[in-house]
Amino acid sequence: MSKRKMFFRMIVASLLRRRSRMLVALLSIAIGATILSGLVTIYYDVPRQMGAEFRNYGANMILTAADEAFTQEDAAQGIGRIAKSDLVGYAPYRYENVRVHESPIVVAGTDPEGAKKTSPYWNVDGEWPAASGEVMVGANVAESFRLSVGSTLTVSYTPEGKVQKGEALEDLTADYKITGIVETGGSEEDYIYMSLDDLAALTKEQGTLDVCEVSVSGGADAVKKYVDQINSSVDTVRARVVKRVTASEATVLTKLQALVLLVTVVVLALTMICVATTMTAVVAERRREIGLRKAIGAPDSSIIKEFMGESMMLGLLGGILGSVLGFIFAQEVSTRVFSSSIRFRPLLVPVTILVSIAVTAASSLMPIRSATDVDPALVLKGE
Amino acid sequence: MFLRMIRGTLFRQWKKMLMIAFTIALGASLATAMLSVMLDVGDKVNQELKTYGANITVVPKSASVLNNLYDMEGDSSGAYLREDELGKIKTIFWAFNIVDYAPFVNVKSELDDGSKVTVVGSWFNHHMDLPTGEALDAGVASMRSWWEIKEGEWLDESKTGEDADAAMVGTVLAEQQGLHAGDTLHVKGEAGERSLKIVGIYDAGSDEDEQIYAPLNTAQALAGIDGCVDSIEVSALTTPENELAERARRDGPSSLTVAQYEKWYCTAYASSICWQIQEAITDCVASPVRQVADSEGAILEKTQLLMILITILSLIGAALGICNLVTASVMERSSEIGLMKAIGAQNGAVSLLVLTEIFITAIFGGVIGFFAGWGFAQIIGHTVFGSAITMRGMVIPIVAVLVVLVTLIGSIPAIRMLLRLRPAEVLHGR
Amino acid sequence: MSLLELKNVSKIYGELHALDNVNLKVEKGEWVSIMGPSGSGKSTMMNIIGCMDKPTKGEVLLDGVDIAKESKKNLTTIRRDKIGLIFQQFHLVNYLTALENVMLAQYYHSMPDEKEALEALERVGLKDRAKHLPSQLSGGEQQRVCVARALINYPEIVLADEPTGNLDEANEEIVVDLFHKLHDEGTTLIVVTHDPEVAEVAQRMVVLRSGKIAKEKVNDHFTGKIRFE
Repeated sequence: MSKRKMFFRMIVASLLRRRSRMLVALLSIAIGATILSGLVTIYYDVPRQMGAEFRNYGANMILTAADEAFTQEDAAQGIGRIAKSDLVGYAPYRYENVRVHESPIVVAGTDPEGAKKTSPYWNVDGEWPAASGEVMVGANVAESFRLSVGSTLTVSYTPEGKVQKGEALEDLTADYKITGIVETGGSEEDYIYMSLDDLAALTKEQGTLDVCEVSVSGGADAVKKYVDQINSSVDTVRARVVKRVTASEATVLTKLQALVLLVTVVVLALTMICVATTMTAVVAERRREIGLRKAIGAPDSSIIKEFMGESMMLGLLGGILGSVLGFIFAQEVSTRVFSSSIRFRPLLVPVTILVSIAVTAASSLMPIRSATDVDPALVLKGE
Repeated sequence: MFLRMIRGTLFRQWKKMLMIAFTIALGASLATAMLSVMLDVGDKVNQELKTYGANITVVPKSASVLNNLYDMEGDSSGAYLREDELGKIKTIFWAFNIVDYAPFVNVKSELDDGSKVTVVGSWFNHHMDLPTGEALDAGVASMRSWWEIKEGEWLDESKTGEDADAAMVGTVLAEQQGLHAGDTLHVKGEAGERSLKIVGIYDAGSDEDEQIYAPLNTAQALAGIDGCVDSIEVSALTTPENELAERARRDGPSSLTVAQYEKWYCTAYASSICWQIQEAITDCVASPVRQVADSEGAILEKTQLLMILITILSLIGAALGICNLVTASVMERSSEIGLMKAIGAQNGAVSLLVLTEIFITAIFGGVIGFFAGWGFAQIIGHTVFGSAITMRGMVIPIVAVLVVLVTLIGSIPAIRMLLRLRPAEVLHGR
Repeated sequence: MSLLELKNVSKIYGELHALDNVNLKVEKGEWVSIMGPSGSGKSTMMNIIGCMDKPTKGEVLLDGVDIAKESKKNLTTIRRDKIGLIFQQFHLVNYLTALENVMLAQYYHSMPDEKEALEALERVGLKDRAKHLPSQLSGGEQQRVCVARALINYPEIVLADEPTGNLDEANEEIVVDLFHKLHDEGTTLIVVTHDPEVAEVAQRMVVLRSGKIAKEKVNDHFTGKIRFE
């Protein structure tokens, strides 16, 4: 039998036959590794997950006309520059002045599905308009005209600019069913919302867009990148960053990430010390065995090697266990907090295992070194 | 004799006891730090979220309905809030939660070349000495924290005064007009005209880029509406809305029972703060800005939940670590305890001795750990949020219970082993 | 030249003279027992011979090398190569089997050899218990594993410290029997004991008292082949 084989045979024997003690040590190492891999996973995933939450604030990019006006096709062309995975949603808006009961009011033509995505904070009493002939009105509009969900709204539109000499100024009128009342606390409460197609039908012209709201995931830098891309490649639209949203998101995310990082560091430092104390206790227990090994002729280097081998093996097992548990923990956190699954980071597994081995080895080195100073004669003589 | 034995262990075995105390201190400090941060993270993040700007807007009652519509037509609605009442916002029940606010007047004006612009009058860094003795600097300088100053600097009211001929210009307008910081811009309002010195040019990333921001009284003079304010934006620390707040908002506070009303009124919901503002200021409507208020609620909730889960993980970690060490160190003393049993100690007496020793050590470690953890929490607070973490009273009992419980649980396996110990075996050195 | 020679060896702890000017010669193949009451310096002598301690004064020549002058590290090597130790409390590594405990000594000495280790166990009559852990063996069996471990590297001297101190009579017999067998095979044996029955079966008996050799007695009846009955 080779020396190496005996070396491993001893380590395995120590781990398996001193099961309860080793389990205790393994447990503390595994906890450390779990915390490391779990928190690091969360640390890396927080911007992505929280970023999704921040989309609640609504659009972080707007498209406006580069010159006079822009069409839906131009907007689509601009949106096309944004990677599908980064695009949360976009909503084109066309504003027209109309009249309700002879009072001037603004109607916004949009894509309700897109608006739902870019303005998730809108509080809609009732339903979003889905079919043609359905509209949603702002809370202020509903209050001033005493409208409620289900009532009918008559909207009249006066074509501008097309009035030729001698031609009668004829109003275009249509009836709509109110499906919802929107409350936002902002100026949106003063508008009427309908689909672009309905607005086109009412005004009898396709019209052009005034603005297109876009919600992009991935933080301020990603938004800035897309804005530059759109501005340099599509010349009909001008993209702008909604600074209020992106700047604030960046601030809060940075703080949050720093918080998780700092917490990770503190927790990790404390668990490392915990592992170290456990390893100290484990080694201290075996002073007599170390004395015996020395008595039968083991050089210090060889004893250090064996005990280090043992603790590195523990570190390896703890690291593997911790990687698995850490991922489970991060997954649990992610589903509970963000109700989405976390991205598995394969690189984190070897890193966790290596760190776990290194920490265990480092924390055992001191007690093992001091244990090899024991005088075998003293240890073996009874006490 | 009992005390003497305990003293003996504590002093003669101080190295081992120190190790137990050290581990318990570590665990306790971790628990203290995490709990303090967790309990305070809501307030801290809330403060950070204030960078999103106001979450409550206040407008005159009669204007709240169709204000914007008339604006479209270029008219003034004729309804205003009173400037002299602005200070009252800081006197409501939740005054402490109001971190910032600013009044606004929008004045339609004309430039020399005939182009129409909106001059917005507001506070920049308006200094207020509150009746409570505190001082507050409020205004757009802090409420528009996302503005990027392209040229020049923020307008400083303490230097220029409230009706100075100074202004800040949006980047789009500046580009159109070829304006730069230091230039003078002549604007004509409905009731007056002024030559404004441009102090700075800002990029807001919104419609504000086409506007001019001037001190409140300057803008009022342009429109001839001295002492009047169009709207007030309020930035308040709020509690995420729950079912109660939802009901109060939907059906009005009068629909609540007295007890519910008390609870609602005394909780910092956006809706109750709005209600209190309406009580303080004559003829106004205060409403939460959903874009900000809702998202804040969601983000706060998520952050708190995240911290709770991380805290639980670290508490489990700390608990297992302590358990481990207590078990290991008690087992180490098996020969000593075997001897005690051999000379006739009862199981109860042995357990009591061991437990007392460990608890004295645990209390010692726990107290040290608590203060260390408090220090950790402050480090986290200062590094991440740049402010101290408020210590909650409830942390102390939680940590105390935790330490006692964990120490007890950690001792159980060891004590069970000690009880099973047969003195003969131990003394024979097996 | 004697295998082991102590020349004017003293070990002084402060005021206490644990060993006081001791002279002793042990020849190759001899069986010497060292006797004496507690505190007579037995353990100190045993530690010095076993290369676990150094004398304050004097020379200890083992195979012609003065171990009193060697470094700690070299002492470990000398101990490993030349001395087999047997302890009163057996001292087996409790998570290794009997066989592995024997192989441990081989491992530190040169190369672990399972076959050889098994043969050593066979010599002490424990072949069938090779796979047992120390906790599954009786005291006598454990001590026999110890003997096997002490012998495995063919040491110049087997040094036994109270080898029967923790054993009952029957097991004591077995172990003493084993010593006879070793002696017959030519092993040099030094047995430290305070049990006269064990001491008297040796070829030569040295009695220590207060750190000095009080009496030396050669066993006249010793034939080398007589078994302890």
